[in-house]
Amino acid sequence: MNFDLDDDQHAFAAGARDFFRGSASPAAARAGLEGGALEPGRKSLADIGFLGITVPESAGGSGRPLLDLAVVAEQGGAVLAGPSLVTAARAAVLLADAPDLAAQLADGSTAFAVLDGSVEGSAPSVDAADATLFLGLDGGALVVGEGEVVPGRPLDATRGLASVRLTSRRVLAEDAGELWARARQVGAVVMAAEDLGGADRCVQLGVAYAQEREAFGRRIGSYQAIKHLLVDAWVGVEQLRSLVWWAAWAADCNPAELPLAASAAKACAATTFERAASTLIQVHGGIGFTWEHDAHLFWRRAKVDRLLLGDEAEHLDAVARLAVSGALGA
Amino acid sequence: MDFDDSPDEAEYRSRVRAALQQHADELLRLAPGQEAVDARLQEAEMRRTQRVLHDAGLVGVTWPREYGGQGGSLLEQAIVGQELARFRVPALINHIGMGMCGPTVIGHGSQDQRDRYLARLLRADDVWCQLFSEPASGSDLAALRTTAVRDGDDWVVNGQKVWTTLAHVSDYGILLTRTDPEKPKHAGLTMFVVDMHAPGVTVRPLRQMGGQSDFNEVFFDDVRIPDSERLGEPGEGWRVALTTLMNERVTIGGAGSAIGSPVEEFARHAKERLPELDADRQVLARQAVGRAVVAALGARYTGYRRLTVLSQGGIPGPEASAGKLAGTEAAHLMADAGVRLLGDDAVYAATADGDDRWQRTQSWLPGISIAGGTDQVLRNILGERVLGLPSEPRLDKTAPFSAGRSDGGTR
Repeated sequence: MNFDLDDDQHAFAAGARDFFRGSASPAAARAGLEGGALEPGRKSLADIGFLGITVPESAGGSGRPLLDLAVVAEQGGAVLAGPSLVTAARAAVLLADAPDLAAQLADGSTAFAVLDGSVEGSAPSVDAADATLFLGLDGGALVVGEGEVVPGRPLDATRGLASVRLTSRRVLAEDAGELWARARQVGAVVMAAEDLGGADRCVQLGVAYAQEREAFGRRIGSYQAIKHLLVDAWVGVEQLRSLVWWAAWAADCNPAELPLAASAAKACAATTFERAASTLIQVHGGIGFTWEHDAHLFWRRAKVDRLLLGDEAEHLDAVARLAVSGALGA
Repeated sequence: MDFDDSPDEAEYRSRVRAALQQHADELLRLAPGQEAVDARLQEAEMRRTQRVLHDAGLVGVTWPREYGGQGGSLLEQAIVGQELARFRVPALINHIGMGMCGPTVIGHGSQDQRDRYLARLLRADDVWCQLFSEPASGSDLAALRTTAVRDGDDWVVNGQKVWTTLAHVSDYGILLTRTDPEKPKHAGLTMFVVDMHAPGVTVRPLRQMGGQSDFNEVFFDDVRIPDSERLGEPGEGWRVALTTLMNERVTIGGAGSAIGSPVEEFARHAKERLPELDADRQVLARQAVGRAVVAALGARYTGYRRLTVLSQGGIPGPEASAGKLAGTEAAHLMADAGVRLLGDDAVYAATADGDDRWQRTQSWLPGISIAGGTDQVLRNILGERVLGLPSEPRLDKTAPFSAGRSDGGTR
């Protein structure tokens, strides 16, 4: 039994934190709502190698485990970075037998997005707004093609959501249902990791404010009404961290456990991030409700992410079904 | 990252299993569906069970050998815990002694006390209890009023304790008293080992809301305790008590073990009962089942992280309180869903066939949110000691205890 990151992963996380803090920020997420570009953007993420973490070395990636990617994704989530590493992780699974395309994913030369729902008119899909090549499931076959992109008015601009209708398609694999499901589970784990980073940051910001702001002659963090809100958010973040690590580990080392672990992590992420972001606003009072404050940018991401790649209800249902059919073991 | 046993751990686990098999006839074991045993009715079997396990090397796994322990690792302790649960051995009778009293004696007792008490405690030759809470001091433990007054080589104790688990079968207790009411409340306390059979000690059982009687009130009338039974210096009782309390929070819900039923048992129950519900209700029930399983897995894997840190030499810190908080929440969610899965029978204290596992857990959990640090006290500890938030102003912290409790003029 050893349930902790190893030294390499700790170093990886520290490096990713430095990179993301220098290249992305909630301010960019705010600008994105008024037409600004995503930060750090696809090219920067490709240049530092983050888009190819789980792409095989033979296809120009790093061939690293999903846990390494999850550790990086957490740091990206803390500053609301875009595009999402969900897309990189999910596409890497789908392109396992298409090394040419995987290489374009890893080096950032092609902007991929993975479509949820029908390829004739997809559900709002992550990073589709700026993508040029799309992966979708068409009658059980994995297809790749170009498409017509219809973005909606963004609630959170960093997710690059858009609906897509494929205008061309080429079959990459027939009978790709299982592969597709696994890719979606991997995507859910990485989104939970990004949400972990966002939720953790919300707690940090809320605690920092509660340590300084005074009301009724003392710092507001001394009041149990405020303190307990923040503690509950923090306890949630710690549970989420454990589930994210477990799910990423399962993807790498115990695939039979991935469906349960991924759904547990995604369901936990939905509520944990929402609660942390709501707490951040509430602890700040009026200033937390302003456009200029960063709180709503985390809140926006939380409100959007909770519905992507399966909402909480879907994943709780999956957890229940798996648990009663023996997924927890004897 | 690795959840499997290492070769050493696997070897150890198979030795534990073999030992349990070998002594199966001598151990008290839970019947199918049974969750706990009553120490009032089965004291002798419980003492024997712990003694047998001790002699097989399965008690006090992490304790130093010089005190009757095995000198083993926390991971070995966790393996023993898992295997005892698998073998359906109920909680050991001296769980308070091993979890709280023993570590306090190790940390603050004299060599003579350690020699006299610890090995016997592990064998359940003596059962121990923890005499802290009083009618007027629960969460505000340092406001306690039981006095100990020096008289020659003895101290004379008067007062009352309450919510004292196992006092009715205990031979010894660790007892927190006020020895100097002129000092501020935290500074005037002193800890002792008290002989529960001494003249002047009266134990009266209390009945809990679920009907069981696990805890007691204990009265002290001119009970004499030799000065040699002091734990720590006079006036140092608060520091000594913190050792006890920190161990308590690790014991309850620490290191990945479940509070109440393990999630696997909950899943088996859901598997049995879900198909009995109407289709519409199954959809709703699965939401509740899923939520409880996610909470239980979150608490379990967070416990594994803490266990990893501790097994690498980390010290149990205030963050252990988060384990109790999250474990309690998960237990509440499982019990609530577990009862609801019973359908119409959920309104009764047992199903028609007499099964009352989930109802009993439901009526027992409110106590877990109170015992060993209320949910609210734990949130204060986490907020102040882990997140670094400012503490609540305390009006009574510096005044002499004898001056009475300041109320800020509101009373």
